[in-house]
Amino acid sequence: MSVSRTEVQASVQPDRATRPAGSRKITFTGWLMAPGITLLGVLSIIPLVMLILMSFSKVRLLGGLRLEFAGLDNWARAFGDVELWKSWATTLAFFVSTLGIELVLGVAIAVALNRLVRGRGLVLPLILLPMFVAPSIVGLLGRYLLDPTFGLYANLLQSIGITQDVLGHPVSAFAAVVLMDVWEWTPLIALITLAGLSGVNPSVLEAASLDGASEWKKFWHMVLPSIRPILLVAILIRSMDAVRYFDIIYVTTNGGPADATKIIPVRLYEAAFRFFDLGYAAVIGIMMLVLTILIARFFVRLMGEKEEN
Amino acid sequence: MRTRAPALTRRQMLRAGGLSLAALGGLTACGTTTATTPVPTLAPGTDPWRRFAGTTINFISENTAPTAAIAANLQPFTDLTGIRVNIVSLELQALVQRVALDLAGGQAQYDVIYADPYQVLAPYAAGFADLREFAEDPSYPGVEGGFEDFIPTQLEACGTFGDSDAIYALPYDCPTMIWQYRIDIFEKYHERMSADLGFDPTPSGERTWEEYYLIAEWINQNVDEIPYGTGHQAKQHDSLMCDFSNVLWSYGGDYFANGREVGLRGTEDPGPCLLDSEEAVAAAEFYDRLISIAHPGSLGWDWDGVGAALRAGQIAMAPNWHEFAAPNESELPGKVGYAPMPRGPKGTSNHFGGTGIGISATASGVRRGAAWLFVNWATAPQTQLDNLKSTAGGGTPTRTSVYELPEVNAAAERPTELPNMLTAETMSVAWEDEKIGLRPKIPMWNECDTALFTEVSRMLAGQKDPRQAMSDAKNRIDGIVARGWAA
Amino acid sequence: MSAAPAVDAARNFGPALSLRPKAKNLTLGTLLTWVFVAAALLWTVVPLLWMLLGSFKGSGDVTSADPMWFFTPTGQNYVNLFTGANNLSPYLINSIIAAVGSAVIATVLGTLGGYGLARTAFKGKKSLSFWFISTRMAPIAAVVLPLFLVFRFAGLLDTLPGLILAYLSFNLPFAIWIMSAFFEAIPPSLEESAKVSGCSPWQTFWYVSLPLTKAGMVTTAVLCLVFAWNDYAFATVISGPNSQTLPIAATQLVTQTGVDWGQLTAIGTIVVVPMILVGLAVRKWLVTGLTLGAVTGE
Repeated sequence: MSVSRTEVQASVQPDRATRPAGSRKITFTGWLMAPGITLLGVLSIIPLVMLILMSFSKVRLLGGLRLEFAGLDNWARAFGDVELWKSWATTLAFFVSTLGIELVLGVAIAVALNRLVRGRGLVLPLILLPMFVAPSIVGLLGRYLLDPTFGLYANLLQSIGITQDVLGHPVSAFAAVVLMDVWEWTPLIALITLAGLSGVNPSVLEAASLDGASEWKKFWHMVLPSIRPILLVAILIRSMDAVRYFDIIYVTTNGGPADATKIIPVRLYEAAFRFFDLGYAAVIGIMMLVLTILIARFFVRLMGEKEEN
Repeated sequence: MRTRAPALTRRQMLRAGGLSLAALGGLTACGTTTATTPVPTLAPGTDPWRRFAGTTINFISENTAPTAAIAANLQPFTDLTGIRVNIVSLELQALVQRVALDLAGGQAQYDVIYADPYQVLAPYAAGFADLREFAEDPSYPGVEGGFEDFIPTQLEACGTFGDSDAIYALPYDCPTMIWQYRIDIFEKYHERMSADLGFDPTPSGERTWEEYYLIAEWINQNVDEIPYGTGHQAKQHDSLMCDFSNVLWSYGGDYFANGREVGLRGTEDPGPCLLDSEEAVAAAEFYDRLISIAHPGSLGWDWDGVGAALRAGQIAMAPNWHEFAAPNESELPGKVGYAPMPRGPKGTSNHFGGTGIGISATASGVRRGAAWLFVNWATAPQTQLDNLKSTAGGGTPTRTSVYELPEVNAAAERPTELPNMLTAETMSVAWEDEKIGLRPKIPMWNECDTALFTEVSRMLAGQKDPRQAMSDAKNRIDGIVARGWAA
Repeated sequence: MSAAPAVDAARNFGPALSLRPKAKNLTLGTLLTWVFVAAALLWTVVPLLWMLLGSFKGSGDVTSADPMWFFTPTGQNYVNLFTGANNLSPYLINSIIAAVGSAVIATVLGTLGGYGLARTAFKGKKSLSFWFISTRMAPIAAVVLPLFLVFRFAGLLDTLPGLILAYLSFNLPFAIWIMSAFFEAIPPSLEESAKVSGCSPWQTFWYVSLPLTKAGMVTTAVLCLVFAWNDYAFATVISGPNSQTLPIAATQLVTQTGVDWGQLTAIGTIVVVPMILVGLAVRKWLVTGLTLGAVTGE
């Protein structure tokens, strides 16, 4: 069952009252935070500054790292690179299709599980399994299942007349990596939605039923609006992760065929660690970072809304 | 809701920014003052093979059959020298990444490096030690037979870069693409195929690519026991460039002008790309047609898929690396034959994929010396002979003297104890000067390669016609070359 | 921090009854539901089951053209993994040390930091929270690039401490954020009364708040463990011959001479099973953990 922690928080006496405003003295809680924040600072701010510096430089590796100032060269190249923009389009397509399918399936599974009176305790853990699988293993497993000579799923597809190599054609390869992502992360959406569903007021639904509302109407007009905030959380979490991970594609198609699965993280990885075009890679990195930060901002705002009111 | 200006964070950021600038200064300084500790001198009266006993070195290699054989056969080296060797074997792409990162650092983690001529040697030649330094030093055991014993083309292709006389690596393996086919199928259907096609279908250096296409199509239609005539390594991958290049060169196309020199010695400035030539477009048109009748799995196979498909009876023939002869023979004894690649208008072209092993320039002290002992040992005739006999993998020799041994010569005919030698006759043709295919040895090859195989992959997917694909590949490659090599 | 409004509803209306169908269409509705659930189960479980079965198949069976559901099981793949030249044990040990190390450090520092964050109100708090979340969610490819150069300078490449630090770059902000969510859920009255009865801030934290978030700490530790254990992108760049981890070992089985699917499915099983076990052990708090505290699922 879901419980908000907001109403609890509202009554916490912040220790702001106990010390003068603007005091520079580090408080007890400040000391508690210090080690974590210091370590995180080292691990995140130094790389960030390096990334920014690199994006304005020609980075030489051999014989030790050297940054030669290159002005806006990398940036100009990135903005003029047609292949890079194609990758952004691919990323967007990947993003929309994974998220779309995961949402629909995840909500459907959650609703179904929520209807189960018995057996949910047994079914739910099984449904959750894919979430714990390392993405690189998901990719390798996908290759095993889709191998045209011995793959279990390829075999099934062949028996219904699809004989082409799934990972060998742009559309089917794209669908395959999308479905691998869907396989891994739909359970997360289902889990989150299930938590939201348990908060839907049953007596209102009962009343609606007595009024003769159909199941679908009840779902669309009553259930869905009330779980919308939670779905938004799910979407934001998955969005940030979608920019973050690329293991599945890396071990299956590595961007091919015909660049159909070359999403931005794959292109960054390629620019950085295959071509050692580190300045250019840094530009792509910053672009991705900005996108993540925008999504994260939205997320934090969402979480802060209630508090401010 | 409105977030307050992040005063604290900004201050923190500025402070931390100063800090990392300082750190960066340190980085830079650290990089430029790299120095290697000298190798300790040889005490008089010591066995030159034993002078580094007790040292441990790291060897990073692609996960190839020859390295599998070396890994399984390290004991003689350790017995001889007292040196322990850690072998890290990785997929080529991962290897390239690791080596580049390692060379960038200044202190070598990997002492002995599998130096792919195109993806490792060309971009990082400056990161390798000149092996003449060791070979000419009398305090080391000499190179048996001298550098002259290595097959000259291979020594040049794997060991040198540009105008320099330096030898950066010694030829360690020499996989080369040749035509591999099912003898039993070709014999069984010989009469019918000859009658239907109007020529002798037996694979040999006389067959043309057009004939190869017709044979594949005939097998598709008429042979029940094998689903497809031909198979290819046509995944969007390095392997696609390898497979396509055989056709490209035999049709008279090339990547750059003076392609042979660019392939053999390498250069930093190869000039304009020639992929939009009529010959290249004709090659692309043929390749597109060929793949359209190949096993559908071809579009998903890189170099591990084709061999497996041939051995599994999925395809009757394929262009593939000659070192696959050993696994072919163990799965289908007596059933796989070898021939040079089919001819195009310009002749036959057999893509060379050999690699040398070299020593990181930053390897220092005892590890530097120990690394040389290992390189010397691993490429020595006796070791190559042992690898040829290995059951754990193994390739074919890179030294002429090994091919001259009677037991090796005898192994070229069945029954044989050294199945990789079954390709010997074919190889003697494939390695001839005008018949060996050498891709450009330029520092930015990795990125050019990616541009090419991406465009070819788009062509195979039907998104571009061959002319468009070649012209786009040319433009991308020209752009990459014009930018020059940064690292 | 706040949860979505919908969640509050539960407080008022108690346990979930919600969409339970009315008695008259119970049979058909339930039947359809079960059919759908069964399909979902097949979809999620079959690949994993196939991997598990594959790991016990002999070399011919694992790539047999006709999928084999029944076969003579063999442990040979596992034996091969732990014997011979490419023995897996060092990889396994590296994986354990790196994942457990980063999980423990992240949980300890995250508990302290999370308590601090939950119990302080200061001007930059929102920015700080925002910084944590963007650090946690930063694209791996963008982080690993400068991190590599920094680690090179610091001599941390190819070392387990280096790998642990790299994992802390995402596990630590996660742990701080999540632990602060757990601390905020503790009724403040408890701490108030502790303070009144003369406890020092540390005693209040140690004897009152900390025991109440045991579940939170375990959840945080488990999730950090899963994230680190499953990592592939950091390990390909940061680790080396002395610090290779299991996912790297798995991809190394894809070699030029072919893929040993028997061993690969066996490694897959070794990577996956422990995470499933620990993950399911904390499933009550998974929602909280995986939504960064935006939804509480208890």
